[in-house]
Amino acid sequence: MFEQLKNLAGREYYLISSLIIFLVFFILVSIYLIKLNRNHIQTMSKLPLTDNNTEHEED
Amino acid sequence: MQLEKFTYDNKIVRDFGIATIAWGVIGMTVGLIIAIQLFMPSMNLGNQYTTFGRIRPLHTNAVIFAFVGNAIFMGVYYSLQRLLKSRMFSDALSKIHFWGWQLIILSAVITLPLGFTTSHEYAELEWPIDIAITLIWVVFGINMFGTIFKRRERHLYVAIWFYIATFVTIAVLHIVNSFELPISFMKSYYVYAGVQDALVQWWYGHNAVAFFLTTPYLGMMYYFLPKMANRPVYSYKLSILHFWSLIFIYIWAGPHHLLYSSLPGWAQSLGVVFSIMLIAPSWGGMINGLLTLRGAWDKVREDVNLKFMVVALTCYGMATFEGPLLSIKQINGVAHFTDWIVAHVHVGALGWNGFLTFGVLYWLIPRIYKTELYSKKMAGFHFWIGTLGILFYAVPMYWAGFTQGLMWKEFTAEGLLKYPNFLAVTLQIIPMHVFRAVGGAFYLTGAIVMAYNLAKTMLKGKLVANENAEAMALETVVVDTNPMDKTWHRVLERKPIKFMVLSLIIILIGGMVEMMPTFTIQSNVPTIKSVKPYTALELQGRDLYIREGCVNCHSQMVRPFRSETERYGEYSKAGEFVYDHPFLWGSKRTGPDLHRLGGKYSDAWHFNHLVDPTSMSPGSIMPPYPWLVDHKLDISTTPAKIRAMQTLGVPYPDGFDRLANDELKQQSEKISAELKQNNIKVNSDREIIAMIAYLQRLGTDIKTNKESIPSNQ
Repeated sequence: MFEQLKNLAGREYYLISSLIIFLVFFILVSIYLIKLNRNHIQTMSKLPLTDNNTEHEED
Repeated sequence: MQLEKFTYDNKIVRDFGIATIAWGVIGMTVGLIIAIQLFMPSMNLGNQYTTFGRIRPLHTNAVIFAFVGNAIFMGVYYSLQRLLKSRMFSDALSKIHFWGWQLIILSAVITLPLGFTTSHEYAELEWPIDIAITLIWVVFGINMFGTIFKRRERHLYVAIWFYIATFVTIAVLHIVNSFELPISFMKSYYVYAGVQDALVQWWYGHNAVAFFLTTPYLGMMYYFLPKMANRPVYSYKLSILHFWSLIFIYIWAGPHHLLYSSLPGWAQSLGVVFSIMLIAPSWGGMINGLLTLRGAWDKVREDVNLKFMVVALTCYGMATFEGPLLSIKQINGVAHFTDWIVAHVHVGALGWNGFLTFGVLYWLIPRIYKTELYSKKMAGFHFWIGTLGILFYAVPMYWAGFTQGLMWKEFTAEGLLKYPNFLAVTLQIIPMHVFRAVGGAFYLTGAIVMAYNLAKTMLKGKLVANENAEAMALETVVVDTNPMDKTWHRVLERKPIKFMVLSLIIILIGGMVEMMPTFTIQSNVPTIKSVKPYTALELQGRDLYIREGCVNCHSQMVRPFRSETERYGEYSKAGEFVYDHPFLWGSKRTGPDLHRLGGKYSDAWHFNHLVDPTSMSPGSIMPPYPWLVDHKLDISTTPAKIRAMQTLGVPYPDGFDRLANDELKQQSEKISAELKQNNIKVNSDREIIAMIAYLQRLGTDIKTNKESIPSNQ
């Protein structure tokens, strides 16, 4: 399986550069997540539950 | 800050809800009819308008764009208003969106059975309807962003990110995959050809699954599941991580639909690697959904809405586990073109999309009608018959898929194909197709019971068309005292346009890396000298092949396996398709591959086979095409078709458009004379002559000129 993926007739750079782009992007999102404020997360996750302002929504 | 009173528009939510129920029942009924056609060809009803090739796209379009599409808009219009504490931006735009979308669906219902199709799967609608889709999608976008701009809630909840990503990506996919050169009111040619057309189509096709059947549904899951369970989502951090990873990775996965095809190997490998990676963000969403129910599983026993949601998420998990597995080349080599893929798709469609839609409908309709559900028992019955329906559908289809994949590849000890006659495999799986139809009938029964239950619910209650709400007005200037408050994502999520642009950039990367080299570097599609443009008659025949939807059952892509070259002949080369606007590689082999069909049988064989397939292949499930003999070929379109092909770079000589019909007639006469020698009397001006000309041309360019194949092919 891996041989098929690796054997790209000299076009490996497409695969390698694509994976690097994703890795950089993933690291950026992860850094952001680590730095995220706990209070903010709580507020955000409760957003769908805070629209119970009509009487028939309260069950 | 001032407390503002306003109303939510429930009428538009109700309208989209009714539309999703009605189109769902229609789309599934058509699905059941075509399922029965595969073991009882008489269900084709003997006319061109209800034949499998024409109504299979009707089924897929109806369930994807009508059933799921209307459900998306229902879910978005309900949740968006509440998450943003604002009525929709414009009632007029909401109405235009609703009626425009229904008209588009109606036009599909009319044009697809009439044979107006581009042949691109899930994008079959012709160019005028493509333009209408674009306009209505823009209306939806303006209405959504207008609402976001006038919101009373500063932060955009994760569901809305999914909606924004859906909007922007579907817009890009639809536009890029609709570059067609019109030649008449309802006929066009794709500007891309062959390998490039295939890459664009499956980049679109796969991401239609991603951004029409997945991301909006994840958005709905993130809103409705916490509401139903009355608890916040399990991990908001996970939702952020899986959102960005999902939209980044999904867009690269399209080439896994083209493994072992003539697509360059590096592009196939990109598709494989990113498809395997895709399991992580997909399961991130599933786990986040299921764990939202932690501590609330007792509710699942009682609450039918949650039952539907749990099965939906489980099916999502299964389908997204199986998808990456199917992308592994060795597994794909067996599974591709078989019923395995049909099973895979339906676990997602029936389980994830269908059940999530049902769960939301059962929850939402009683609320906007200010009443209780008419019958909980009926809803429970729907849940169980629907679940049984999924099982009865999927298990036989998996069985049929494994059977096909293995029988096609089986050799005898002497090294010959064990089942050289394709039909042997088709007949072997007929019982599985019968069971599949039973499963489909179960599922449809459930949907009809739901329609009755919800109609009764609506009659029992009264629609709260304008639901009162109040919220604080949003301050125009925000001064954040907390420095941690200024992280980039929080700024981003408050600025919807920047958010949209970033999502756009993320989803463009994958497509560009895969497409630009395939389009610009000549060595990716090496030309073959002996490959020549189609004759005028063959071109007309090809358009009939497209009209009849032959591509729904027959591939034109011989993969480089011994089991295929033995059965069909030389494997397909990229350079053979350079004049194919559009490509017709297909994705399913209900019948055999046709790429090397040319010259294999006589013209008389093709004539008899098209008029009555069982006369040549006893037991064949292919429908007969007698109207090809009755219809006169419309040759008034030939010059325009030739000119269009010239515009697209097909090297017909200058002025050929004027001579084309003379040449066409000569070739027709020749075929007619050939048929006459076999005691078949048919006028040379009939459609069947053009169809035979095309079928006899298939794959012959290199059949007789093997030395012309470039060494690297």
